Amino acid sequence: MENDKIKNERSLPEVGKNTGKKNLSKNESISPPDNSLWQNFRSRKQLFNIVRNIFIFLISIFITIALILFFLYLVPALRELTSGQKTEITNNNELKKDASYKKQISLMTKAIQRLSKKYSSYTSGQSYIVINTTDNRFFLYRNKKLIREGFCSTGSLTMLRTESGNKVWVFKTPKGKHWIQGKITNPSWRRPDWSFVEEGLPIPPKDDPSRYESGVLGDYAMSIGDGYLIHGTIYKRFLGMPVTHGCVRLNDEDLEVIYNTLSIGSKVYIF
Amino acid sequence: METEIINKPSGSKTTFLIVIIFSAAFIIYYSVMSMISPARKLAEIKDEFGVDPAEKSANDKRIYTDSTYLSLLKEKAFLQSRITMAETDSIYLAINLADNTANIEISGVAVHKAKMSEVHTSKILLKGNENIILSLLALPFSVSNEYSTIRKDPVMIKVAPKDTSEYKPDIMPDTSITEPVNYMLETTNGIRIYVYQQENDKFTYRMSRFKFDIKNRLRDTWSSLKSVALFKVPEYHPFIKMRLPRADAKIIYRALPKYGQIAVFRE
Repeated sequence: MENDKIKNERSLPEVGKNTGKKNLSKNESISPPDNSLWQNFRSRKQLFNIVRNIFIFLISIFITIALILFFLYLVPALRELTSGQKTEITNNNELKKDASYKKQISLMTKAIQRLSKKYSSYTSGQSYIVINTTDNRFFLYRNKKLIREGFCSTGSLTMLRTESGNKVWVFKTPKGKHWIQGKITNPSWRRPDWSFVEEGLPIPPKDDPSRYESGVLGDYAMSIGDGYLIHGTIYKRFLGMPVTHGCVRLNDEDLEVIYNTLSIGSKVYIF
Repeated sequence: METEIINKPSGSKTTFLIVIIFSAAFIIYYSVMSMISPARKLAEIKDEFGVDPAEKSANDKRIYTDSTYLSLLKEKAFLQSRITMAETDSIYLAINLADNTANIEISGVAVHKAKMSEVHTSKILLKGNENIILSLLALPFSVSNEYSTIRKDPVMIKVAPKDTSEYKPDIMPDTSITEPVNYMLETTNGIRIYVYQQENDKFTYRMSRFKFDIKNRLRDTWSSLKSVALFKVPEYHPFIKMRLPRADAKIIYRALPKYGQIAVFRE
């Protein structure tokens, strides 16, 4: 038996040699390693469906992203590429010698000079103050030159309303062009209604002595209209912050310089 | 039964194919319509702001393309525009693209000057017909709409205390809050001014800018899609995009009135 086995094993390669081509083709058609894996995979329907769905999902995401990029970025970029044709600007020396050209240019130059003059006349040669309510800073100018700058306090942008809601006050510094309408030394403050409402106090009659407080507005005050003042403060630590009820507060030194520099009619630019 | 089983996949394939063809056709149609829009905008500007002088004038037409004449015309347009605004007593913005500055002015007085670190301008404003664009710039733009990451007037509501026991003195405001500043001002003539804060070192700043940009793009795309679906050419908005220091960007936004005016000087 053992001899027979050995014989068979030995004879196998020989059989292979004789029928080599036939065996190979048989093997290919029956079960090549790749196809079998694929068919195995396909035969497991569930797994196949999962992988297919993942593939579809990824493709959908890719298409969606591509569409988003196309609509949000590519189309606007293409739009820019196609917009406008540049005017061909020339510099013709022959034209420059032409009398009508010279006339046109001179007319244009004159018009620009006139407009420039008009525009520069808007900037006052007098002293003026610029107040920046976002940064709470002031800039004082004399003869169009900056002579002093520093911190100030402007409106807190608070809306105060009574519990019933029938009275509302907004503490905001008015923006735009104003002018100094009055100058006062040693001002005393006549407390308006909101200052009592804000503290939960009853509103006193109009000329009640409790309405008058002295020493809280500093040594000087300048009125810019509608009850708004530029004045001093006892709350110096708040300078540079939006904490006021609409007035502009300054420290004592700045206030004195500004008071002495600005006169009635001087411009106050608030932005 | 057999035929049903066989037909089902081929039916969905046909539907899929039809969808693909329609989508591709729509994308091509949308792209073409979008690309037409700048030319249409230029024609609109021409209709609104007068004809090209080179077409009608009896003068030598070469003057309208002459460099000296055009540079004088630019200067005149900017001055005219600023004078118109100065006479209104309002706060306005003057953008100078030649020296990259954005100034806040009140009645002709420059009250705040800001330097742009980066500017991108729509091609139509830079390369459009010089004479037509300059006639557009000779009039100030009025802001009609705005989108911003900050509030214009951050008003806080405070209810008055019932009596003195409820009264709490004002607490020092928190100045450490640094919200990102990005905004877009849309003007009545369709030009958009985008202002982005220059500081970009924090993740929150970058994220805010990205979100702001995406929102604007989505809004534009949605409006364009609606127009194209109605067989209309979508609206094109020429733009000026600039980067300013955060503090300056905030000052300009808060200083400009809601329907403020803007003048632009082009290079």
